[in-house]
Amino acid sequence: MKILHPAQLNNFIERLAKAWEVRLPVLLPDGTRVIGSPGDGPPALHGGAVMGKPTSAFFPHHGTLFTSDGGKLEGPQNPDLPLFVLGFTPRDLACLRFIDRFFADGLCDDVYFRRRNNALVAGLSGLCGPGGIMIPPAGGGCDLEFFCDGSCWLVIPYSDGGREVSAGLSDPALPTSVELFRQAALSQPDEQEELLRRASELLRADRVPDHFWAEIGDRCIACTGCNLACPTCTCFGVQDWRSAQKTERSRMWDSCQLDGFMREASGHNPLGSEALRSRRRIHHKLAADPEKWGEISCFLCGRCDAVCPTGIGMVAVAREMVARFG
Amino acid sequence: MKRTLTVCPYCGTGCMFYLVSDGGKLVGVEPSVTHPVSRGGLCVKGWNAFAFVHHPERLTTPLVRRDGVLQPASWDEALDLVVTGLQAVQEKHGSDAVMFASSAKATNEENYLLMKLARAVFGTNNIDHCARLCHSSTVTGLAETFGSGAMTNSISCIDETDVILVIGSNTTEQHPLIGSRILNAVQNGTGLIVADNRRIRLARHAALHLRHKNGSDVALLNGIMHVIIAEGLVDEEFVATRTENYAAQAAAVAEWTPEKAAAATGLEAGEIVAAARLFAGAKRAMILYSMGITQHSHGVDNVRCVAALAMLTGNVGRPGTGVNPLRGQNNVQGGCDMGALPDLYSGYQKVADPLVRDRFARAWGVPSLPAAPGLPLTRAMNAASEGRLQALFVMGENPMLSDPDQGHARKVLEGLELLVVQDIFLTETAALADIVLPAACYAEKEGTFTNTERRVQRARKAVESPGTARADWEIICDIALRAGYRGMCYHDPREVMDEIASLTPLYGGIAYDRLDPHGLQWPCPDRNHPGTPLLHLEHFTRGLGHFSPARYRLPAELPDDRYPFVLTTGRTYFHWHTGSMTRRSHLLDREEPRSFIEIHPDDAARLGVRDHDRLQVASRRGEVQTEARVTTMVVPGVLFMPFHFAEGAANALTNNALDPESSIPEFKVCAVRVERVP
Ligand code: SF4
Ligand code: SF4
Repeated sequence: MKILHPAQLNNFIERLAKAWEVRLPVLLPDGTRVIGSPGDGPPALHGGAVMGKPTSAFFPHHGTLFTSDGGKLEGPQNPDLPLFVLGFTPRDLACLRFIDRFFADGLCDDVYFRRRNNALVAGLSGLCGPGGIMIPPAGGGCDLEFFCDGSCWLVIPYSDGGREVSAGLSDPALPTSVELFRQAALSQPDEQEELLRRASELLRADRVPDHFWAEIGDRCIACTGCNLACPTCTCFGVQDWRSAQKTERSRMWDSCQLDGFMREASGHNPLGSEALRSRRRIHHKLAADPEKWGEISCFLCGRCDAVCPTGIGMVAVAREMVARFG
Repeated sequence: MKRTLTVCPYCGTGCMFYLVSDGGKLVGVEPSVTHPVSRGGLCVKGWNAFAFVHHPERLTTPLVRRDGVLQPASWDEALDLVVTGLQAVQEKHGSDAVMFASSAKATNEENYLLMKLARAVFGTNNIDHCARLCHSSTVTGLAETFGSGAMTNSISCIDETDVILVIGSNTTEQHPLIGSRILNAVQNGTGLIVADNRRIRLARHAALHLRHKNGSDVALLNGIMHVIIAEGLVDEEFVATRTENYAAQAAAVAEWTPEKAAAATGLEAGEIVAAARLFAGAKRAMILYSMGITQHSHGVDNVRCVAALAMLTGNVGRPGTGVNPLRGQNNVQGGCDMGALPDLYSGYQKVADPLVRDRFARAWGVPSLPAAPGLPLTRAMNAASEGRLQALFVMGENPMLSDPDQGHARKVLEGLELLVVQDIFLTETAALADIVLPAACYAEKEGTFTNTERRVQRARKAVESPGTARADWEIICDIALRAGYRGMCYHDPREVMDEIASLTPLYGGIAYDRLDPHGLQWPCPDRNHPGTPLLHLEHFTRGLGHFSPARYRLPAELPDDRYPFVLTTGRTYFHWHTGSMTRRSHLLDREEPRSFIEIHPDDAARLGVRDHDRLQVASRRGEVQTEARVTTMVVPGVLFMPFHFAEGAANALTNNALDPESSIPEFKVCAVRVERVP
């Protein structure tokens, strides 16, 4: 374990940026926090999970798949430098683990792994949650973790890459462990996790009637924000842009809340109503993914609840569902 | 990676977001979490606002028509041709033979500059923009009743109100981040009255959904006011101290008993009574309206009634109340504020006022400015067909698809001596032009946009424009210089705003260094003024609020035996106006790929029409083919069609019947017949 004083942070980032394409939580001019480049604004490690998919460094909103120029095919460019992405809370890391597995499944998603392989992922935990509350440490699942002890960052490497980048930092004066914090958190019941578990049971027991989904569907304005903010949503659309001799195929984040996206090539749409699509958004994560992947694929990062303009993100819906049918 | 804070190019809600760019290319959008309107959310158009910017069909070089074909040309050649062409027309036919169409998609600075170009350089007041087609009725109606033709309150007032009346606005689709706010308010107990005969999403949440006949708004509102007066629900104190001409209003609605209003609107008398009681019974009630009120041959009367209803119940000048016209385009408020209007300079200062004229002439360094108001856009087509107008300069508009009676519009545009179009794509209108000037889009330039709640916000350049395309403001200034005018040389739009502020009391305190992060609401008269979230607090802008009673008039064209259906037009959630941007955004176009027409299941059954059948729709002006969407969104006898699509263009059918005062066309009502294409 190493220690990083807040005053050393900028230097540390500058040094890193020589060998890595660095992404970290930054404060944008209007107070929005995102995972961005150091030039976007001052580092803003405090405040908990940032808005926007933390995984967008690997799976961007819009990215080229290939171009064909006069018949010559070219894949997407590999990043000039490998990525160093800081800012994953433990819940975000769970999301990353989930989509790593998803993109690796079957035909491995080359475009994702061009950016993901060789990347270093750094977690963020400790007394740096919203309003300074404690985010229990992940204890793994990343290359290194930045844990805020209230005044300094304890930097805990978990991989060779993590050890390498933190090697230049000084050692803490006293031997410390953050494991206690993790254990303490594990022993506490998590109200939201419990809520999701109960909502998942309700869905799997088919105890949520259709009229509930009709009500939720009526409140969805199909903005797609929930999907576009969710780190475990991996759906994308594909577009071709053709000019005289050049074709560019790219992909962009897409959303199961949209009718056209769910329409099959035949023109048929098995989820042709807002009610069914709203049901699917929740059902997929709480009932279908547990069947396929053995776990609920919402890790309670909170983004869909924050981004939804009408207040029907995952936790809000789960809460209403459990209150009414639980 | 770079993040650039800017304003959404689509609707007047004015959400702000960050454009994310990488290596000079846009790769996504991130909402602003702290923005007072969008608050970390966006609608589907905002989330996809980057998607059209690098489209391969962007215009990259000026085009000049040679031998009947548009061919690439240099900027020098194209701009010289523009200037000599306009001057030649003016020499031959007089100053007012040219007209400038400005754009509600261009910035405030650009709208100001185009109106300066028209007036100071080319000596004509023939300048207008598409506000003529959307809220000209508001500008006229609210100026007369309140003294200011803009939203009286702020969007955040939706959180503080007890009852919301939404009339003629499909808010969740057209102003989604305002619509979602209404949905939230309803969840928290706010009462909602929706007056709209389509079963829009908001209607599903409404305590009362009034599906009154198209074009019967005056009857409905007069009926509601009748009940309020008859049942003693008037805010007597407000009426006595803040308004004038109440007696005339009361007299005018006296005959509008619920029964009479019911007969005219097709509603039950009880529905009208219930709406009156719910609205007038609320401590704070708010009216939101949009094109369903304005786009009628009696649009100004509709607005007068809306204003009267608010005054009658004392719902002006307090948080959670007000008359709130939702402006459509991201800068249609600004286009009006900047005086891209035939009778007004920036800040609604009258062209007809010699003192005002004199002040502008001195500031602009010209001996005089034209005194007679110019042509409204909707009268330009007729002026052109009569030969009074010979040249049209269009900046960022597409009248071929957006104007009523497309067949007529095409004939007129083709017959012009000179048509210049400045745009980002080769639109249906640009395809007819003699000269096409490639412009930078919103992501490629600096400037300000003013949203529907009068919030002036900064748009910023995130990427370079394609090829040799230039920002509208640069092109306009270059034209001025080539025409021999030296008073339009600016380093950047910031300097233009300083000039605007110096000549426009409403914007007197607006300056770039004050607009971060999320703008200022006008009126903002001086540099120390914090902006004005609520208008008409102690007194109306005009002093006393003026009741202007309105007489009920039927729409200009009603169904008959030959054309038995009412056609009403509008937009869909996924597209923007004539689709030049959204139809080139993959995801948006995929969601709504084709022209369609909504038809009620009963009508469909009668005509043997099934969902997705091809239909032939004909009006007195034209006919188009489109696809049937059989749905209870519409009532029997009424059809709805969006106007985004060049193939199956709704405006081939619509009627250019104009409101006599605002010159707005009656997009919301015309008569058509429909049959299955065998
Ligand atoms: S964020 Fe909310 S409104 Fe938007 S698509 Fe998702 S559920 Fe619907
Ligand atoms: S609500 Fe309007 S301003 Fe906001 S993102 Fe959507 S289109 Fe843009």
